Amino acid sequence: MARNADLQLGLNDRVALVTGGSRGIGAAVCRELARQGCDVALTYVGEPGEADETVGAIEKLGRRALPLEADAADSAATEDAVTRTVAELGGLDMLVCNAGITRDAVVWNMSDKAWDDVLAVNLTGYFTFNRAAARLFKDQRRGRIVNISSINGERGKFGQANYTAAKGGVNALTRTLARELGKFDVTVNAVAPGMVATEMAAGLAPEFRNAAVRESMLGRLADPADIAHVVAFLCSDFSRHVTGQVIRVDGGQYI
Amino acid sequence: MSRVGIVGIGHTVFGRRSDATVQELAFEAYRAALKDGDLDPDVIEATVIGSVPEYHKQRSLAGVIQEYLNLNPKPTWLTEVACASGSAAIRTAWLSIKAGVHDVVAVIGCQKMTELETAEILALMGRVGDVQWESGFGTTFPGYYAMFARRHMHEFGTTNEHLAQVAVKNHHYGARNTKALFQKEITTAKALASDPVAAPLTVYDCCANADGAACVILAGERAARKLGAGREVWLDGNGCATASMSVLRRPELTGLPSAREAAAQAYKMAGISAGDVKVAEVHDCFTIAEIMAYEDLGFCGKGEGGAFVAEKQSYIGGATPVNVDGGLKAKGHPVGATGVSMACEMVRQLRGEAGEARQVPDADVGLTHNVGGIGQYCFVNVFKKD
Amino acid sequence: MFEWFGKVNFCPHTKVDGFAAHLRAGRLMGSTCTACGHLSFPPRADCPACLQGEFAFTEMSGRGTLMTFTTIDAAPAGFEKEAPFNLGVVDLEEGGRLLAGFGDTIAPDGITIDMPVQVVPRLCEESPDIKVHYTLEKPGTTWVKTGPESGEST
Repeated sequence: MARNADLQLGLNDRVALVTGGSRGIGAAVCRELARQGCDVALTYVGEPGEADETVGAIEKLGRRALPLEADAADSAATEDAVTRTVAELGGLDMLVCNAGITRDAVVWNMSDKAWDDVLAVNLTGYFTFNRAAARLFKDQRRGRIVNISSINGERGKFGQANYTAAKGGVNALTRTLARELGKFDVTVNAVAPGMVATEMAAGLAPEFRNAAVRESMLGRLADPADIAHVVAFLCSDFSRHVTGQVIRVDGGQYI
Repeated sequence: MSRVGIVGIGHTVFGRRSDATVQELAFEAYRAALKDGDLDPDVIEATVIGSVPEYHKQRSLAGVIQEYLNLNPKPTWLTEVACASGSAAIRTAWLSIKAGVHDVVAVIGCQKMTELETAEILALMGRVGDVQWESGFGTTFPGYYAMFARRHMHEFGTTNEHLAQVAVKNHHYGARNTKALFQKEITTAKALASDPVAAPLTVYDCCANADGAACVILAGERAARKLGAGREVWLDGNGCATASMSVLRRPELTGLPSAREAAAQAYKMAGISAGDVKVAEVHDCFTIAEIMAYEDLGFCGKGEGGAFVAEKQSYIGGATPVNVDGGLKAKGHPVGATGVSMACEMVRQLRGEAGEARQVPDADVGLTHNVGGIGQYCFVNVFKKD
Repeated sequence: MFEWFGKVNFCPHTKVDGFAAHLRAGRLMGSTCTACGHLSFPPRADCPACLQGEFAFTEMSGRGTLMTFTTIDAAPAGFEKEAPFNLGVVDLEEGGRLLAGFGDTIAPDGITIDMPVQVVPRLCEESPDIKVHYTLEKPGTTWVKTGPESGEST
């Protein structure tokens, strides 16, 4: 089915902060929000050129991009990212938390470090960014938080005790923040993709990819843009009455 | 028009009465009033009960009391206007006699305030004002009067010492009243040093809850002369007025408009002026309330209430002795009983039976001032002795 | 949802129900009688002047003058943990009066009768339920007003 590339969600001139925006789902979210008219700050880790491709795509769409080197595991860096976004892009309307890593192993072989590293980025990193945004959104009496989770945060996944525990934590964090921030007109939701055709998935053995395609009712993997479209909807006024939800975007992979 | 007289008075000790139910307290006051007036129960045609229902576990109190007094099938009814319920009961009894419906009516004010748990008292305390616009901010009864006090201080230079002097005076007389809750004197220094309740009011600026009952027996003129046998006292002025429930709709916060209006009515009806009043009972639920009462009743000019007590003008020997039974402050404040207790004291004073320690000499005109809530209701009665 | 109004609410149902939603949106509303134009604060559905029952909400500036104040030490139920706290009565610039506690911009020892104050709509941030009220603040204190999306309209 063809997508209507012109669909507009009324996000023109709003400001977004997307963590882990240089690659994969994060990059797709940055592009979609820019297409919707948002200026976008994006965090990345690693080399200064890491975010160039996404920055270029945002600017090509006529919007401002603000690349921010920030490790999601560093609490002070997350506060600073929010402060700089407000200072340089003139405000903040939505936070999309996406930065994540994997260190897979069956539990009896999983090292403390593999556990700690994944939890630090995929759960504590979400907490610190959510907290920084909550402080701002509460006082400005508006804001949208969308946390990228995973269907495996609900159903578990072989070899990913650390990753799925973090995603389960993200779902709980999302629901609690929805309760705490609702009175301020701030919504907090999570998007839980199934398997998405990203670099992360490309590295998997073909049998895992094929199993995911078989599980899907639609017989395919998600494009990163499929996730980005739902994120954009949750950032828009059209979703004003949706909060505390974990929205699965998995082609029916987990029903 | 024919007059209404008081031919019997009865009064329990005010205090913690864990030994008695509220109807038992009512009975004590009723029996004492019959004895005081040397009256046969058969002459009583009806009773009116002044009480505030939310303090009692017993619902529909009047019926329980009427049964306990052994007065069925004679009529009874309850009046409720917060702390002025006792005076409202007197007014409806007075009205029924004036209307010619009844000739002799017993009025009983009664309250048992210690039935409630502390938590229930605190919950009630949070709902004394307008619950829609004020109670949700944590207002309290002392809090409202504290705000009157602060404004009075601001406009007229009234001081904490003035407030304390009201408490000192009322404890001075309470120490000489065997029915009072606190029968001991206090000093200004002690009052000023007591714990804050709602600044600028401290513990000694506030009256205390108590249990108790009081009874007055009212009669039409002819019956009063017959039954009174020369001891009857006349209720010649009866004023009654209201002010807004909410302080947000009061024209000013240094007095009670309801008190001024009720006083004007009572003075006019009795054909007297403030200067004629030889002794008064005023509603000193808080010390500032007594200072405002001096002014509202015309015992002194507006803003002069602090000086009035400082100069001992409200002591016996002063211009207008006030609360020489201890007032609510020292006598205790069983809310429904208070207005009737005031009437009892006035009858005692006008008969010359108040006792050497606190009898006001030559008292022939007396006044009671009974306030409901923070001035939402006010009843001013003028009593005379022929 | 008048039950939103007040740290403790005793009075959830009223004809001026919309007051609380407006307050949540940062707007302090009085009422204007549509028949005679009489302005009331607190708002009331039934006009005290002409007795008509039609009214419209009118936004108040919240500017006013402190008439009097107190410090509550002996607190009522629901406020035990907050004592001691200050309460004041304010004469509003457009007419009407209001009772409220003081916010952080006015130090307890800086409260004086006749001082100018600004009434600021507030959410009880630490409450799990939606509770709205207002505090007395220093003149010039600003706050966020939101659109109709923040709650029910009138």
